[in-house]
Amino acid sequence: MDKMMFLFSEGLKNLWRHKLTAFSAIFSTFLTLSVTGSLIIATENTNKVIEYLRDKYKIEVFFKQNISDNRVVALAKEFNSIRGIRSTTVITKSDAEKIFKSQFGENILDMVGYNPLPASCVLNIVKNQPDAVKIRPIIDRLRTYPEVDEVNYQGRLINRIESYYQKFVKGMTGLLIFVLLISVLIISNTVRLTIFAKEELIKALQLIGATRSFVKAPFVIEGVFHGLIGALLASILLIGGLSLGEDILQSVTGLKLQYDTLFLISVLCGTGILISLVGSSRAISKYLK
Amino acid sequence: MIRLDNVSYTYEKGGGVSNVNLSLGDDEYAFLIGPTGSGKTTLLRLIYLDLFPQVGRVEIDKYKSDKIKRRKIPYLRRKIGMVFQDYHLLDDRNLFDNIALPLHVIGVEKDEIVERVNDSIEEVGLEGKENHFPMELSGGEQQRACVARALVKDPDIILADEPTGNLDPVTSFELIKLLEEVNREGAAILMASHNYNLIKGRGHRIIEIQNGTVRQS
Repeated sequence: MDKMMFLFSEGLKNLWRHKLTAFSAIFSTFLTLSVTGSLIIATENTNKVIEYLRDKYKIEVFFKQNISDNRVVALAKEFNSIRGIRSTTVITKSDAEKIFKSQFGENILDMVGYNPLPASCVLNIVKNQPDAVKIRPIIDRLRTYPEVDEVNYQGRLINRIESYYQKFVKGMTGLLIFVLLISVLIISNTVRLTIFAKEELIKALQLIGATRSFVKAPFVIEGVFHGLIGALLASILLIGGLSLGEDILQSVTGLKLQYDTLFLISVLCGTGILISLVGSSRAISKYLK
Repeated sequence: MIRLDNVSYTYEKGGGVSNVNLSLGDDEYAFLIGPTGSGKTTLLRLIYLDLFPQVGRVEIDKYKSDKIKRRKIPYLRRKIGMVFQDYHLLDDRNLFDNIALPLHVIGVEKDEIVERVNDSIEEVGLEGKENHFPMELSGGEQQRACVARALVKDPDIILADEPTGNLDPVTSFELIKLLEEVNREGAAILMASHNYNLIKGRGHRIIEIQNGTVRQS
């Protein structure tokens, strides 16, 4: 226990002993995590936009004239189980008649002597899946039903939105991985500078019988502190910036930014600790090889 | 306790030791004497396994250079106290913390560390200097601090590599006497030096090394 306390306090003291490298490591972690946090907020809000758009996707299925209301309801239930469908709304022939009357102010039975409007079903698409919504297989499946007369959907528009969204998600993921990798390399090289400056300490520790893990531990603990401090600073910057900027953004664009403060801080701290842990472990392990 | 059988080690750019046969008993005090570049430091490095013999074998207690696993080397070094010409004290911590470091490595409890470090400081006559940083100590005091750091873990062997190299004759003489006291308490001592005048007539074994070869033991 005393040994653990010693290693922990050595890691903490190293922050002060290696002020310059600690500053560099904290600053690079802070920059990386500020970018990472911005990307997370951008992705989260893009997800809200795509969910909103997907909420508007509608597929209208028109049935043949001779299909009974009971059959229409049964078919709608079947459609509900198709992958990618969130909910269905049945519009029977009599519902269609009422809609016609409410929209045009006239009774269709009086006009043509019978109800020519077909029963139909409106299908809503799932909205909160990370993958692209694939409309084509749904349409193909719906067209296999002999009761279905016609299927209307905004195919080209949906495909275009989904394609852009997927490109955005891939781009963001790539950028995030790139930023994190660069950060690990920067932290690793910064810690290596500390290690070279502390060659004497490492040599002394090895000569007095310190194991590899004992030599490594203070550097890794110091790295974790770099990550944690960098993450907290990035959280303060982002949350402070957002709380100052969101009112202005809302008044100018009408958009309200959505983010979970606790989630953001947890992700930034977790990522900060992880990249610093990987960076410092990599550096000290390379040195001790 | 220490045994070297036909040990040879040659550096890439030349120098080293060749065909060394040597043994040192449990409570022996021996001087390793030879001119600069004769192989004294190489021989000591081979003993604490900072270097591995290219030929032959080094044996310290149960540890054998040809069989030992790398991860076991720290455990061998915990049995050896080392004293260097240039002290190897850490500038960013005070005397107390420098001496306490080997005990933290071993995992000694805090209260015991305080007790043992204070005993060591007393043994080398540096009481009152606990909070001084190495830069605030004289060369002789730094070397005594180095001895205290070697003693604090109660080692079986002390290897001293030119410990008097940076000291004046009086301080050098005091250091040798200090090591003699340590030897009387039971630790084997092997001290390398190039200064024959300093060690002659003290009644200890003298091992002479020249051009990497042990001439007289």
